[in-house]
Amino acid sequence: MTLLDLIFNGNDTVYERVEKAVSEAVEKYGTDKAVAFPDTAYSLPSYYAMTGNKVANLGDLKEAMGVVKSMMTRNKRLHDGFQSGWATLLCAEFYEALKYIDGAKPYEAPYTGHLSDAYVREQGVPLVTGDIPGVAVIIGPAPTAEQGAALVKSYQGQGMLVAMIGGVIDQCVEQGVKTGPNVRILPLGQDILSVAHVISVAVRAALIFGNITPGDAKGLNEYTFKRVFAFVNAFAPLDNVTLACGAGAIAMGFPAITNDYPYRVPKSLIVQPDVDKWNATSLEARDIKIKITKIDIPVAFASAFEGEIIRRGDMQIEFDGSRVDCFELVQTKEASEVEDHKIEIIGPDIADFPVGSKQSIGYIVEVAGKSMQPDFEPVIERKFHSYLNCVEGMMHTGQRDMIRIRVSKDTFNAGFGLKHLGEVLYARVKSEFAAVVDKCQVKIYTDPEQCTKLRHEVAIPLFDKRDERLLTLTDEGVDVYYSCIMCQAFSPSHVCVVTPERLGLCGAVSWLDAKATNELDPQGPCQVITKERPIDERIGEYEDVNEAVRKFSQGALDDVSLYSIIEKPMTSCGCFECICGIEPLSNGVCIANREYAGMTPIGMTFPELASMTGGGVQTPGFMGHGKHFISSKKFMKAEGGVGRIVWMPKDLKEQVKDRLNATAKELYGIDNFCDMIGDETVAEDPETLLAFLEEKGHPALTMEPMM
Amino acid sequence: MGDFKLTSVEEFEAATNRLLETGKKVGADGWQYRVANQTPHCKFGETGICCRICSMGPCRITPKAPRGICGCDAHGIVARNYLRFTAGGAATHSDHGRSICHTLYCTAPDGNYKVKDPEKLIRIAKEWGVETEGKDIYDLAHEVAYLGLSEYGKVFGNQNFLKRAPEHTQELWQREGIAPRAIDREVSCSMHMTHMGCSSKAEALIRQSLRAGLSDGWGGSMAGTEFSDVLFGTPKPIDTEANLGVMNADNVNIVVHGHDPALSEMICEYADSPEMIAYAKEMGAKGITISGVCCTSNEVAMRRGIPMAGNFLQQENVILTGACEAIVVDVQCIFPALGPLAKCFHTKFVTTSEIAQMPESDYIRFEPENAGENAKAIVKLAIENFKNRKPELVHIPDMKQKATVGYSFEAIVKTLDTVTNSQVDETGTTKPLIDCVKSGVIRGAVAMVGCNNPKIRPDTAHIELMKKLIANDIIIVASGCAAQAAAKAGLMDKAAKDLCGAGLKRVCELADIPPVLHMGSCVDISRMMILVAELAKDSGWKISELPVVGCAPEWMSEKAVSIGNYVVATGIDTFLGVDPYISGSDQVYKLLTEGVREWVEAAYTIETDIDKLVDRMIDRIEEKRDALGI
Repeated sequence: MTLLDLIFNGNDTVYERVEKAVSEAVEKYGTDKAVAFPDTAYSLPSYYAMTGNKVANLGDLKEAMGVVKSMMTRNKRLHDGFQSGWATLLCAEFYEALKYIDGAKPYEAPYTGHLSDAYVREQGVPLVTGDIPGVAVIIGPAPTAEQGAALVKSYQGQGMLVAMIGGVIDQCVEQGVKTGPNVRILPLGQDILSVAHVISVAVRAALIFGNITPGDAKGLNEYTFKRVFAFVNAFAPLDNVTLACGAGAIAMGFPAITNDYPYRVPKSLIVQPDVDKWNATSLEARDIKIKITKIDIPVAFASAFEGEIIRRGDMQIEFDGSRVDCFELVQTKEASEVEDHKIEIIGPDIADFPVGSKQSIGYIVEVAGKSMQPDFEPVIERKFHSYLNCVEGMMHTGQRDMIRIRVSKDTFNAGFGLKHLGEVLYARVKSEFAAVVDKCQVKIYTDPEQCTKLRHEVAIPLFDKRDERLLTLTDEGVDVYYSCIMCQAFSPSHVCVVTPERLGLCGAVSWLDAKATNELDPQGPCQVITKERPIDERIGEYEDVNEAVRKFSQGALDDVSLYSIIEKPMTSCGCFECICGIEPLSNGVCIANREYAGMTPIGMTFPELASMTGGGVQTPGFMGHGKHFISSKKFMKAEGGVGRIVWMPKDLKEQVKDRLNATAKELYGIDNFCDMIGDETVAEDPETLLAFLEEKGHPALTMEPMM
Repeated sequence: MGDFKLTSVEEFEAATNRLLETGKKVGADGWQYRVANQTPHCKFGETGICCRICSMGPCRITPKAPRGICGCDAHGIVARNYLRFTAGGAATHSDHGRSICHTLYCTAPDGNYKVKDPEKLIRIAKEWGVETEGKDIYDLAHEVAYLGLSEYGKVFGNQNFLKRAPEHTQELWQREGIAPRAIDREVSCSMHMTHMGCSSKAEALIRQSLRAGLSDGWGGSMAGTEFSDVLFGTPKPIDTEANLGVMNADNVNIVVHGHDPALSEMICEYADSPEMIAYAKEMGAKGITISGVCCTSNEVAMRRGIPMAGNFLQQENVILTGACEAIVVDVQCIFPALGPLAKCFHTKFVTTSEIAQMPESDYIRFEPENAGENAKAIVKLAIENFKNRKPELVHIPDMKQKATVGYSFEAIVKTLDTVTNSQVDETGTTKPLIDCVKSGVIRGAVAMVGCNNPKIRPDTAHIELMKKLIANDIIIVASGCAAQAAAKAGLMDKAAKDLCGAGLKRVCELADIPPVLHMGSCVDISRMMILVAELAKDSGWKISELPVVGCAPEWMSEKAVSIGNYVVATGIDTFLGVDPYISGSDQVYKLLTEGVREWVEAAYTIETDIDKLVDRMIDRIEEKRDALGI
């Protein structure tokens, strides 16, 4: 038989059974006999929601059976299958309702049967907020009682609401699983038709929380499809009645998972022979992502430990990328290549190494997700530094293949092993990047040979490829920029416009970061800004950008330029890495970084400069920016570019030297440009600086006056 | 989603009528008038019984004169004409493919054309047994291009791509002696067979028609598609817009028309450069809008999201807007009427191919070597023409629809991957689609292809058929002008899911696709062949058993007949809404609609009543389902 024929057959069976029950009831009580479920204002909830008609007595019920019959069309289309599925669920509701005539109490512990409106309201809120991530409806007995109980407990452990029908209930009882509404495990009943009670919960959720008008069947199905994260787990053999109920569930958007069936439908009717994988299969089928809040490690995890220093004498082990081959890496894989939460240690563990020794380590976090893009890899990777530092007794510095990690003796003695390093990475990546990472596994290598091989054959080529990609990312080469208002909490009118060549002034948000942030949370701090309507390309002013800035600054700012510090410069919040300011005597700018405590030739220290530049106001001639922006071809482009830089603290100069020299070479053909830039060892006053610049023949001296 | 509404054919026509008003003001001609002048058509020609192959005639068959001077009967004449028609189509598609191979041969890292999809190149190279290890990608491109070009004149053996078909299909082709040899040979052989004094046996002529068709679909067209992907990137889903409203009155409008993406890609590249945009502004425009007509439009829409101004019978309309600075054409389906029409406006009509040269056009010959500089020259020509626009003649109908296009075979598989469950399913297959079909969630698929033809109210058949099919849970893959009709109507907007039956609607929602999938231009029907081949392999069914049919309700060109032949010869029942000049011979008619089924397990259905046509397709799909027991 075709799948539709099987559904029709199940539907016919149920209809016949219920029609008989209704006739018998009418015969016994007469048509005026009241029919209702206890403690609900919606009578009968599913039928009312679907048709807009209430059923008060047996006479109404008989009429309703006619309405249901009219839904049971038999064309060879899924529409008919869905309608017949719903017809089956409505029949089930009628059948169950008959049990409650005269205030009868048809269900006794552990069975719950009908659930009250109060319960729906109570569970509805966490369901809507996602605190209950989903609803599992388990039907029939699992192959073994252990498997049945394990499945139920796995869902319970993830905070889900579990409804059970039939054999699985006995299996839970046998295995001593505690059940009941208070632990969110609901044994509905033995008969498949008791499924009506959980359908009724979903339907009432739609009426109560979704404001669905009774009778709006389309709206109801759309609501449950989009908002009620339920699914069905039905153990084989799947009979036609269960299938027909399943068709109704699928019409509502709830996929069904079973272990043996001749038909399958993607994301709707899934055959997973391995019952132990039902949990993962079901969550994926319904796109449910479990938030990971607890990290399974033997020491504390908190941002309080971020600045913790581990001294040589206190350390159990050190992995040092400056001496031996180390690396950290995020790689995108196909979903089929990633087993969620798998953590593999390839090589010796911490305990196997001599105390205080220096070793190799390489860890690859492999992620898969339908919205994952390789561009997000470095964004995720950059977070490792913060994740690992949050572990009590662990210190992480550097990035890519220049990392150094120390683990303290105390932390090791508390039982910390490399598996826990994997746990931290897994848990944080999964929770922080839930929007893009569906599955995540961690491979940790400590075998020195493999570390060397992987570093050179996998990691470095990938880093090179990313750098190449970054180099090709130019402001002209992309269609959109992003706003960033992450720091509006303390600087309410500040808006950063992040472009490929101009990262956020805090230095932490590159264009790719902003893109990923936008992807993760489209309504979040980073929004797309189009750049279709340029006003002045010299200073980088766009109508679209101005509109966005106006909107995101709540009207505090009118217009900004991207490439000028004189004309409509971008504002600064207060978390800038650097400030540059005009030094009039030399016709250039001085840059000071946050770490620099001394005086600048402008006559102000960094804090003094910061006090006049921050707060989200435009201060022509002064601008906050990120370190990486210094070597950008767009740095002060309107005023002539990096050639304007006349002074920087020595430390900062060292950090940006290579790139800045390259930019200057490209823009002006000057070699070793950084040697022409003054620093605190040369001058802290403008006159000495000018003499130095003249001696070096600094390009700023011959540029047009800035003001 | 709430404000989604299809655009109706009536609205299309109202817009066209408004444009014809403009045409009248400037004394422009239009196909609408020319159709009237040409009607009624010659009955002998229409039924296929006019023979002018030698100079003894022309001979026409009548009850009184049942044989031509040489003694050939109606069946021989009709079949010969049919084969020549096919050969014309196969030659055309295949020569397009050849030109793409040649362009691939001319790629260089710093040249006008580059390899944009090296992975696909490597895949094809491996398939063809070319060593790829350690080879420079351009060396590989040249080697594979050379092999591709060799397929046109290979001395022995069959087409390389035939191996992509399921084994059963390959066996059928061998058994029936229709496995195509060298592409050029099949065209030559067809011309030879139809020469005076050669074949007059209908069966032999129809058999060669299938073989010539296969040399197109599994030879020249497939090369055209595959190597276009290597050159310009394999299409993936991308959003665009369709219908005349995509033209922008404030901008310089350049319309690309024809078939070969080598021209249009280059024009798009240059029109997008800051230099040209700045130049356009200097000339008083706000920017540059490129839009497309016919299959070249499909090519650039699939790869770049360039909007589609319209399909075949809308080509004159783009000039009638009065806002078209240049219409740049390459090959095929270009009305010679465009030259005189452009003269009525300020529009520059630029021909670029040695293959399609027309009077009253600016001929700027396009070769891989000069493509960059000529594209730039053409864009500049259009920009400089902006000032010549006559504002009083400008009227762009405010009519367009959103469309998501770009469903290459590879993109379809990628899309199907998104509905797999990584705990149980393998990825990279067509199995999710097969599961949908087996379970009846989707009843089947129809490949809607082909042109417009004034014999059918333009686009009506395409749109009405598609509406009814999707309402019956039948998914549609479309290409060519059929695809553009769908896009213009709004059927490629994801919101069109609400017009589907419950099954197809759910599929559209879960896979995030429109119900009509744009698979490309007319050479890209080869993508559909790969799709059915993979469906057959993944399902274990024969291609002819799949609940899939092909349909060209408004076809007009020789290419369409060639396509029809290879689609049927691949095992897919094909439904035509226009008679291919065969009604003059009951023997040929019977062969094509029944007889060939013995050879290739599929046949034609010719049905000029559009309502009946769609019902017959649905019935055919349900019959195939019944036969499979699903």
